[in-house]
Amino acid sequence: MTEFSPRIVAFCCNWCSYVGADLAGTSRLQYPDNIRIIKVMCSGQVFPSYILKALELGADGVMVAGCHIGDCHYVSGNKKAQERVETLLRVMKTLGLDPRRVRLEWISASEGVKFANTVKEFVEEVKELGPNQLGVRE
Amino acid sequence: MKEYAIFLGCIIPNRYPGIETTSTSILKDFDIELLPINGASCCPAPGVFSSFHLESWLAIAARNIAIGEETGRDIVTMCNGCYGSLAEANHLLNGNKELKDKINDILSKVGCEFKGNSKIKHMIEVFSEDIGVKKIQEYMKNPLDGIKVCTHYGCHFLKPSEIKKHGSSERPKFLDELVRATGAESIDYKDKTMCCGFGGGVRARDIDVTLDFTREKLKNIISAGGDCIVDQCASCHLEFDRGQAEIKKIYGEEFRLPVLYFTQLIGLGIGMGQKELGLTFQNIPAESLLDKINGRKK
Amino acid sequence: MTNIGVYICHCGTNIAGVVDVEALAKRVAKLKDVSLARDYKYMCSNPGQDLIRDDIKHRNLDRVVVAACSPRMHENTYKKVLASAGLNPFLLEIANIREQASWVHLDKEKTTNKAFDLINMAVSKVRMDEPLTSMSANVIQRVLVIGAGIAGIQTSLDIANIGYDVVLVEKEQSIGGRMSQLGKTFPTLDCSACILTPKMVEVSSNPRIKLFTYSEVEEISGFIGNFKAKIRKKSRGLDESLCTGCGLCQEKCPTRVPSEYDEKMGKRKAIYTLFPQAVPNIPVIDRASCLYITKGKCGVCKKVCPVGAIDYERGDEFIEEEVGAVVVASGFDPFDPTSKEEYGFGIYKNVITGLQLERLLHAAGPTQGEVVRPSDGAVPKRIAFVQCVGSRDEHANKYCSRVCCMYAIKNALLIKEHHPESEIFIYYIDIRAFGKGYEEFYKRAQEKGIKFMRGRVAEIFEEPASRNPVIRADDTLLGMVTENEVDMVVLSVGMIPRSDSSRIQKMLGLAASPDGFFMEAHAKLRPVDTLVDGVFLAGTAQGPKDIPDTVAQAKGAASGALGVVSHKALLLSPLISEVDERLCRGCGDCKDVCEYGAIELVTLDTRKVAKINPAICKGCGSCVVACCNGSIKLRNFTDSITFAMLEAALGGAL
Repeated sequence: MTEFSPRIVAFCCNWCSYVGADLAGTSRLQYPDNIRIIKVMCSGQVFPSYILKALELGADGVMVAGCHIGDCHYVSGNKKAQERVETLLRVMKTLGLDPRRVRLEWISASEGVKFANTVKEFVEEVKELGPNQLGVRE
Repeated sequence: MKEYAIFLGCIIPNRYPGIETTSTSILKDFDIELLPINGASCCPAPGVFSSFHLESWLAIAARNIAIGEETGRDIVTMCNGCYGSLAEANHLLNGNKELKDKINDILSKVGCEFKGNSKIKHMIEVFSEDIGVKKIQEYMKNPLDGIKVCTHYGCHFLKPSEIKKHGSSERPKFLDELVRATGAESIDYKDKTMCCGFGGGVRARDIDVTLDFTREKLKNIISAGGDCIVDQCASCHLEFDRGQAEIKKIYGEEFRLPVLYFTQLIGLGIGMGQKELGLTFQNIPAESLLDKINGRKK
Repeated sequence: MTNIGVYICHCGTNIAGVVDVEALAKRVAKLKDVSLARDYKYMCSNPGQDLIRDDIKHRNLDRVVVAACSPRMHENTYKKVLASAGLNPFLLEIANIREQASWVHLDKEKTTNKAFDLINMAVSKVRMDEPLTSMSANVIQRVLVIGAGIAGIQTSLDIANIGYDVVLVEKEQSIGGRMSQLGKTFPTLDCSACILTPKMVEVSSNPRIKLFTYSEVEEISGFIGNFKAKIRKKSRGLDESLCTGCGLCQEKCPTRVPSEYDEKMGKRKAIYTLFPQAVPNIPVIDRASCLYITKGKCGVCKKVCPVGAIDYERGDEFIEEEVGAVVVASGFDPFDPTSKEEYGFGIYKNVITGLQLERLLHAAGPTQGEVVRPSDGAVPKRIAFVQCVGSRDEHANKYCSRVCCMYAIKNALLIKEHHPESEIFIYYIDIRAFGKGYEEFYKRAQEKGIKFMRGRVAEIFEEPASRNPVIRADDTLLGMVTENEVDMVVLSVGMIPRSDSSRIQKMLGLAASPDGFFMEAHAKLRPVDTLVDGVFLAGTAQGPKDIPDTVAQAKGAASGALGVVSHKALLLSPLISEVDERLCRGCGDCKDVCEYGAIELVTLDTRKVAKINPAICKGCGSCVVACCNGSIKLRNFTDSITFAMLEAALGGAL
């Protein structure tokens, strides 16, 4: 039996977390390959329904990464993302979905190390949770 | 009425019981009660034990904290070493669940559980914060004007400053402020923040090195013109008191510098006598100091 | 049915060393709507770009995906390629298979699979992308420069001399900045004022530079090509238009307070100019120490002023300026060593900072260039410098401040040459003498007999009678702990970001590096740009540096700013939100969340609908999510596109 390798999707914002991910790359920091990044302009652009759709399509974990509060390139987009994701997490439990499969993180453009460590941690946590039973997998 | 659980450690009950009795009686005047911790052992000595075996140190310290926690109060100690041992163990275990579970596994064999609910405090915090400088000033019956005190903060209360968080570890002020509250003058001396030499297991392993430290401190204090040394740690207290006897024996040098725990100094300020303060138990007589204090009255 | 061309870059071995690019190309070619998939050594090279161009023309490609390095590197390069081949440049997607795949994973098979998924995601998006046209916006052909130290001055002169207008705003009452505080500069020992003041005069006489001194930029709104700045011109307590700079008021003022310009080593009056060559040469009344303002007494300056310029009640003025680009040259502050308690700064009188020594050595400083020690005014014969104070320090700042080794060596040399009998010690960890002539200068100092002691200074204490500081340090070359009693200690303090830098940061939406200085767009390739289009950085605001590097960077920032304002019009990104007026209910929720005020409610027939101003909209997408019935879409980032990308990411439809 092959070891469970989680599929993680991350929405990373153009100004901070995506750049932080690039920095992890230029610094050659290694992290698990389970992650697929979708670049959004702002974490405030992420619909809660995108997160649910990802889970429905078979993602075992979904991450939303934006700028630190106070540093959002669009002033308050990340604050909106925070409200939306926190509300979503409360609702998920009621819907019978495990909120631990969703992670909101603030990663700045200079935090390559934080990006790599966050991915490592999240992959480990999701491994513990096991495969997402919701989606249709190949 | 405020209550604390009192962790006595080893040196005070065995060698300097005056520190305990003085502190307890003064605290009563401020409506603070100390509850006993029954069955407590040595803290254990942080430098010696933790350098040999981390888990043994943690388990013994955790057991002491666990018994103390049962009183439902915060734990207070009068020795920097005990404070260092218990506070660092408390910090480590509260910050690491895996370690905490491991230690509690060991403690379960003696029917104990470390919960991490009690704060670990030092007697100096009780006087500095709970009582405060102003109340000490008002408490004085014969303020110790004209007495020159050299304070010794010791090491384990202030450092590591990231864990202990008691302000500056280079230029602390609180002990000097308490001394000033008694009316005495707290004077500066060379290498005030230097260790007394006792800790880290050095006294047990290589007493020559320890006494070298102690001698230098005593020389600096005499040089600066101090009438006595005031400390906040039972171990430092032993080092300065007993150490002077040892230095006389080995080096032939005599300092005759009275050594006081800070509550003993406060006790002098409210007119407590030598016997009451337990100063007669000490190696170095406090006559010269008492004469100076009484001399002023004439 | 579309014809998508996919190009997979080897990037030498950066990608091809981990990803099996040939197998990947074959697999990608099988994706729906992909007409061709190629792999090539360096897609960003001319031949690489030609490949794409040729395929667009001869293979009828109507969409392109490039799988290579991060879009932040070459997205614009490839966009230009598409445009040059007659294809809309927004029909391009980049799959980041280098920074976010081949550089961060080791397993070849897994990384190749990931690269496939990333390409599939890009293909899914590009398939649904719509062609977009950039809008044009008029550019205001002026530049705002914040800060008039040597960086701001150089930038302003370069821009003005090329023929564009500059608005130069300086917080202090005179331009010149930190460089004006310096005496002689390393390694040439030429006088700082001598090289600086001609440039200061040039600024004041240049008709294209509108200078605001004793002023601060309080607010900036807008976007590249169209910024609006609100400037507060603080009151000097006098009418500048009348003041002739005669200096009588300053001469007669009876109040003396510690001088900030002299780093508290000297005193100034309550009405004062900073230094004799100040530009403008107009004083300021310090409201906190002026006797008339605080107690209603004195008033001497008003009495003696021959032109009646004094006006105690004068208030601040507010001015608005419109510009097309902004250069931030707000400078640095010296590290305050009070927090390094073991060094006793602020407790021992004879422990001073490098900048304080600089003022003592300055010919026009508080002691006319004679170095005397604070406790008794005696000339110190034994002086110790302590390096890396507040720098290279886990408890203060981790970075190296770059200039301290050189300024300490310079000042040591100056003192030694003036008093050859003096004994000077420099306690260092490493000597950084990196610039042109620097290493030679260091050698000269060693030959002059200045003693370099390698080891961190553990503590400084004081001999109570003489007030002589004693340095206790670990001498690593001798292998022992040493104690050295000297007459005076100079702490070589480093540079820290200016105290108001976080205000400027928030005002402009800039990022800060971990060290707290403003962050450049790319550490190597874009050292003067920021991530905010139209805002540039110059000088120590971006990080510690010496004068040569500051001037070079200032000239670079001028070039960057000119790149914006030299055009009459700029193309704005069309990647913005748009409202479907048929669906919009006019509830206004979108308007409430827009931080830029880009949305208005307008009347359409009989109902209210939201209208987004395309020149202001930044494309952040906040309104899109706020809209309850999906009337707003973010161009080329719709729900369908996101869902398609998610399917591709999760190994979905092939």
